[in-house]
Amino acid sequence: MVLTFFDKAGAGVLRALDTAGDFAVLAGRTFAAIFKRPFDVQNLFRQFQAVGINSLPVVILTSLAVSMVFAVQLAFGFKQFQAEGLASQVEGLAVMRELAPVITGLMLSGRVGSAMAAELGTMQVTEQIDALECLATDPIHYLFVPRLLASVVMLPILTAVSVYVGYWGGYLILVGVEGQSAYVFGNEFYKLLAFRDLRIALYKAFVFGMIIALVGCWKGYRTQGGAEGVGNAPTSSVVTSSLWILISDFFLTKLLLV
Amino acid sequence: MPVIDVVNLSKAFGPKVVLSDVNLSVEEGESLVVLGGSGTGKTVLLRNIMGLLTPDSGHVAVEGKIIGQLSRDELFQVRQSIGMCFQMAALFDSMTVFENVAFGLRRHQKMTEGQIQARVEECLSLVGMKGTDKLKPAELSGGMKRRVGFARAIALKPKILLFDEPTTGLDPVMTDVIGRVILDLKHELGVTTITITHDLKSAFIIADRIALLFRGECIACQPPAEFRDNPHPVVQQFLRGDADGPFLQDPPPPKRKEAHA
Repeated sequence: MVLTFFDKAGAGVLRALDTAGDFAVLAGRTFAAIFKRPFDVQNLFRQFQAVGINSLPVVILTSLAVSMVFAVQLAFGFKQFQAEGLASQVEGLAVMRELAPVITGLMLSGRVGSAMAAELGTMQVTEQIDALECLATDPIHYLFVPRLLASVVMLPILTAVSVYVGYWGGYLILVGVEGQSAYVFGNEFYKLLAFRDLRIALYKAFVFGMIIALVGCWKGYRTQGGAEGVGNAPTSSVVTSSLWILISDFFLTKLLLV
Repeated sequence: MPVIDVVNLSKAFGPKVVLSDVNLSVEEGESLVVLGGSGTGKTVLLRNIMGLLTPDSGHVAVEGKIIGQLSRDELFQVRQSIGMCFQMAALFDSMTVFENVAFGLRRHQKMTEGQIQARVEECLSLVGMKGTDKLKPAELSGGMKRRVGFARAIALKPKILLFDEPTTGLDPVMTDVIGRVILDLKHELGVTTITITHDLKSAFIIADRIALLFRGECIACQPPAEFRDNPHPVVQQFLRGDADGPFLQDPPPPKRKEAHA
């Protein structure tokens, strides 16, 4: 029984290492393929549109909702200590440092990462990826690279949009509902922030973009087993990338705030 | 020197041996048809030739180059001289017919848009699909998809064409159409072809030689007339299309007597 336990544990460790190794190899091949020719500009712009432009409504709505609900909680909390003025400062800090990059990352992992996994998964089970290989085209170069580039460029831009929307979400609640002065809110929102905070938010978004694209493409590329496999790939992609976004957010925050 | 040389090729997936010591060679301009039951490794053979799978032992050489020993860039060079037609066409469903056929040209040839247009039209008319360039794969029937797949495969003017069960799932008329298209391509382009099929009628029309794979081994490889007279019981059973005989591993259900009124 003890031997069986060690057998199972060993097999589990080997499987986990195998999976991690496979991801690392594919990620390495993707980075190596970035500067390879031919540069497919049309394909790249299609991905910019899919990842960036088409995600704008989702990012705007979620950023607005989260910043508004956060402002409601802050206003309620600080009211207990007659410190309502602090609400806008903390709102600014939270939106810039955490809410904007993490909400954007999580929403895009659901919207874009899952789409990448489903698209590549369908291509895998319908032999379209084999067809690419047979047409002397590296699938990593043709499929992974534009998605990775689009994600690492568009995630920071969408995060900046999210910060901007977050400002107005806080404004709506704290100025519109709680009756704070618009002038004071405008000043207080940025009071605790430095340029470094925007830079950290954009770094985080860059890393989240990398995670979303690489995990989405990897899960799609390794899809097996027909319709069931294609169904599992997006779910698995969203769960994995969301998890890594949250884990890497902790380490990035610890690392970059020092 | 044979254009395609398959030497002692073996491939297994886990405990299941799919190909066992298969030897085949195809000369320039020759048309080889590979027959065999489902799961006998016909598609695996083609995937090994394309370098999509790595053999467990043995090797495949295309124009003298051993596929397993090539770097990825060298493999892509070799693949540009091979056109692969997939069983279900494997067209890129996000692209139109035109974009599908033009894909290889845009990636590998320095051609103007006008030249690409002309080449795509030429390829589509060779397979009888002229005028469909703006359609998406979802708007095509099974037979049309296969023919667009052929057009995509010949766009780069390959020296070798591989057809993976091009007639599976098609009605008898469309099967005949596909057979004729393959024959036309063979004569017009003078390419070396390997065709995997279950359709005996088109196999005997297309083939210069017919090979039969049985339980991972190549048990016959000879010209059609000799193949037809091959006394091997598996060959004869396959030609008869009879369930009784050594072909099936598990015995088939017994024949019932037809009830006459």
